[in-house]
Amino acid sequence: MIQLYNVSKRYGAEGASVTALDDVNMRVREGEMVFLTGPSGAGKSTLIRLLLCVERVSSGQVLIGGRNVHALRDESIPYLRRNFGVVFQDFRLIETRDVFDNVAIGMEILGLPRKDIVRRVGQLLEAIGLQERAHASPRDLSGGEAQRVAIARALVNEPAILLCDEPTGNLDPQLSREIIQLVCEVNRRGTTVVVATHDAALIEEFGARTLTLKGGRLVQDRDRADRGGDMLAGGLDLSRLDDPMAEIE
Amino acid sequence: MSATLRLISFLRAALRLMRGSPWLNAVSVLTIAASLSLCGLFAMAFFNAHTLIDELGSSLTIQVYLEPDTPEERIGQIEARLREHEGVKRVRALSSEADRERNRKLLDPALLEGLDDEAIPGQPVLALELDSSLASRGDLEALVHWAGQIEAVEAVEDVAFGAERLRLLFAVLEIIRSVGVVLSAVLLASALFFVFTTVRLAVWGRRREIEILSLMGATPNFIRAPFLLEGALQGLLGAVVAIVAVGLLHLELEGLVRDVYLLQVQPSLLPPGMVLWLLVGGPCLGVLASGLSLGRAFKV
Repeated sequence: MIQLYNVSKRYGAEGASVTALDDVNMRVREGEMVFLTGPSGAGKSTLIRLLLCVERVSSGQVLIGGRNVHALRDESIPYLRRNFGVVFQDFRLIETRDVFDNVAIGMEILGLPRKDIVRRVGQLLEAIGLQERAHASPRDLSGGEAQRVAIARALVNEPAILLCDEPTGNLDPQLSREIIQLVCEVNRRGTTVVVATHDAALIEEFGARTLTLKGGRLVQDRDRADRGGDMLAGGLDLSRLDDPMAEIE
Repeated sequence: MSATLRLISFLRAALRLMRGSPWLNAVSVLTIAASLSLCGLFAMAFFNAHTLIDELGSSLTIQVYLEPDTPEERIGQIEARLREHEGVKRVRALSSEADRERNRKLLDPALLEGLDDEAIPGQPVLALELDSSLASRGDLEALVHWAGQIEAVEAVEDVAFGAERLRLLFAVLEIIRSVGVVLSAVLLASALFFVFTTVRLAVWGRRREIEILSLMGATPNFIRAPFLLEGALQGLLGAVVAIVAVGLLHLELEGLVRDVYLLQVQPSLLPPGMVLWLLVGGPCLGVLASGLSLGRAFKV
């Protein structure tokens, strides 16, 4: 699903550049869940930005679903991004929209009918236990609630890949655990998930394949799939979610 | 989603943007309104001055004074020649006696006491009524030129008509047009600047939202649309305010023209086409300013 070949990313002018990623090779299979870890400045966020085509590689190739994304024309990039759901450390909810409208954004971008948006967003909010807060302002949400809304927003179009950049960075350990449980459940339903985090305890607890970056280089690739799923017995039920496209098609 | 529903969705987003910065939006709307009002005001002044010139032009008569001893036959020849000229509706011939009688009525009777009839000026006159209005300065100059030609005809002593008055009106018209164009351009530029600034600030204030939309796969046009609509709405509101302002001013002017300047002229409001131009021009101005402000702000 995701392949990186000799990917390097440098910032600044030639000769005085800073290397954020250095000759990274990696592959994430379809339906896999991967933790991307390493200290601050290791290149985790840069890698996610490269996957989203927010930035271009300095050298090497990034393939998503077999396509070299950095060979895409600018006009095609929005359509590539529709394959991703993205979750950030600081939630990045839009404060001028209520919870419902925040989750609905992805479907509005696709121009889907209002009745489908209402049904799908309703299901998602119910799944994350926030149906009662549909019309609350993001300002009135707790950190855990805000991150759940952000995850619901990322999932609204059933993306093929969920990218989470430090999704638990602003949360306490209990909420962090709940969020990762939710992400694991999403992965269990078939979505490829990449979680960038420097929280070693969480990685240890949830035990999925872990890619470790250090100084821009991939220094470790530890596959612990044998332990995956141990911690998936959370109280969140995503099983009732429909495919958002099913009825439309 | 149909185009209509999408437009409604964009409109909602645009209104949300406007609610987000009401004061800035109010300043933009008022600036557009001020500039379009000025445009409308000058258009109204220009339009009415033109109407006035047309009215004066159509009521214009040319007096051709002939030498006192011009024979009847010669007078008949000149009259026939003038009648042939395009635009001459009627030619009325006055004998020396009739002209003297007309002049007598114009003078103060006290001055005429004890005077011989011969002392009162009187000469044969041909009074020409024109059937065309003077739509342009070119028409007036053509008329002046023709009057000069008449003056050169044998037995014609003088040709008189209100050319100077019309020239003055044309000059006033020219000033109205020049000042109107310059002031309107300055105000339109400032309106453009205000909308530009409003949208730029809105974009700056919503850069995180824009980034999120972009990361979720929104196309640049999807992101731009609400900002462009915000500009268009500002322009439309500005145009409506301008039309109301010009309309109110017109009501004030109606009374002023009649009561203060004692002109028997009914000042017209803007022609319907001009109202339509303002209604279309306002949103266009807003969209142009928004478009300039957005520029390449939403690079993917």
